[in-house]
Amino acid sequence: MASTYEAAVAGGPVIEAKGLGVKFAVNRRRKRSLREMFIHGKKRDPNAAGNEFWPLRDVSFEVAKGDCVGIVGKNGTGKSTLLKLIAGVLIPDEGKVSVHGKVAPLLELRAGFNDNLTGRENVYLVGSLHGMTEKDIDERFDEIIDFAEIEPKFVDTPIRHYSSGMKVRLGFALISQLEHPIMLVDEVLAVGDKAFKRKSYEAIERMLANERTMVLVSHNEGDLRRFCNRGLYVKNGSLALDSDIDSALAAYNADTKAEIAERKKKEAAKKKRAEGAAKKDESAEDGSTRAEAPKKKDEGKDGGQAA
Amino acid sequence: MASRTLAVWEHRKVVGLLVRRDLKVKYQQSVLGYAWTMLEPLALTLVYFFVFGLVLNADRGIPPEAKPYGGYTLFLVAGILPWTTFGAILSEAPRAMITHSKLITTMKVPREIFPMATVGTKFVEYLLTWPVLLIFVFALGGRFTWEGILVWLPLAIVLTFMFGLGVTLFLASVNVLFRDVERLTRILTRLLFYGSAILFPASMVLDAERVPDWAKTIYELNPLMGIFQMHRTVWFAGFEQLTPSTLALTSAVVGSILMLVIGYWTFRRLETSVLKEL
Repeated sequence: MASTYEAAVAGGPVIEAKGLGVKFAVNRRRKRSLREMFIHGKKRDPNAAGNEFWPLRDVSFEVAKGDCVGIVGKNGTGKSTLLKLIAGVLIPDEGKVSVHGKVAPLLELRAGFNDNLTGRENVYLVGSLHGMTEKDIDERFDEIIDFAEIEPKFVDTPIRHYSSGMKVRLGFALISQLEHPIMLVDEVLAVGDKAFKRKSYEAIERMLANERTMVLVSHNEGDLRRFCNRGLYVKNGSLALDSDIDSALAAYNADTKAEIAERKKKEAAKKKRAEGAAKKDESAEDGSTRAEAPKKKDEGKDGGQAA
Repeated sequence: MASRTLAVWEHRKVVGLLVRRDLKVKYQQSVLGYAWTMLEPLALTLVYFFVFGLVLNADRGIPPEAKPYGGYTLFLVAGILPWTTFGAILSEAPRAMITHSKLITTMKVPREIFPMATVGTKFVEYLLTWPVLLIFVFALGGRFTWEGILVWLPLAIVLTFMFGLGVTLFLASVNVLFRDVERLTRILTRLLFYGSAILFPASMVLDAERVPDWAKTIYELNPLMGIFQMHRTVWFAGFEQLTPSTLALTSAVVGSILMLVIGYWTFRRLETSVLKEL
């Protein structure tokens, strides 16, 4: 609550989304783009209605300073799209998102690394792309290399010779040095081996400690509960719930369970049908006992899941 | 628009970094490194000198009085060096956004900086060809005046890269949506090469009796022809036939400005779709 108060003092929410919507064309035809180029408006869009797909629509929310918001939801419901909209690497077709303050979009750990450059050159390049000054990087360079556990002899080796673990560790080490007030994270927390993961968590906690705002997309409930105080549950491209993280996760889990139950039921019905057909065949020669037994077992499992 | 320009300005260092990175990567693994920027146009010049100069007699379009001032050889060098740069811009323009898709989809920077970095890299490479040009100018005795150095040369360079940036903005964004553009560009580059009078003076076409007048007008309306004439007239001061006509000069200036406007407009117009497709 204290954080909300402070944000109000500083001038309102740091992230503000109003009626966000993004549209993708299914079966995009060439014509459309050509028209898009030369004709304003959507009046004569040949891909009207039916072929449009809105991965995200009518999403509005506000994030106050110091909040850590977790976005949960099934695959393909638009979580990452939402994060990209906030990051500004995707432009909404509807609505508006305004972000007050510098953003560190941590959408991919290896983003910007060039395989032909050395570890050192890459740190300088990507660090600068994220808005660090050369002096900043000079000061933190040793710390970054140390954190990433990269042996000094490899620092000046082109990173195409690095292992994939080394690359993500270097990526994480670098971004953990960023001091942007807003961080957008897409499933990048869990990298490396166990020891490195622990170090990463500590680094994130340290980053969050300074009143920083974070939006996190993850499927890892542990991460979400650990860092977030708020949760947004995205369902079928719209915001189903905006509350604390526990309620959001609970709603998500309830929906998931219901879905699993549904699928199990369907599977059971399918099996029953198949067995029914098999029974018909078999009943001519053999008794029905053999087919009966697995069906009963199945029903038992199904009931247990639903409860 | 104003805020966007400001955002680009704030990211000028990033453009510099991308340029430096591209150059570094490009020359890192070749033994001759930067020498290639000079060797490539030199080799081309040699080939064209042989084919067009000696075999096809294209040098007959050069005024006889210009012979002691470098003649056909200097004419070729002064045209091919900037053309190599411009051709390289054309060939890399369609991929200017695609090659950076990872960066564009994960980092918030004004998207214009990627085409700008592509053109910037080519600009640096262009500057690196200058020693070759100067060697030829002094060895062959090119004739230049202050007027040429202070007016024609800066104008030629500014227009070349203005046109180049416009084309890059246009091609880079359109190519994301239809990749056919890449192939089309390759053909157009060839066409422009011959349409820009690199291998023979424009007067050979303009004075030819067999070419109809309307074709000559179109030929002169090609902004690139005027631009490359400017590049050469710097070293052939005072030769009427090698100086761009008023029409060629006008179309060069207007054409370059127009290209930049069209390129930027298209780029901004397609930005939303391009980001989705990358």
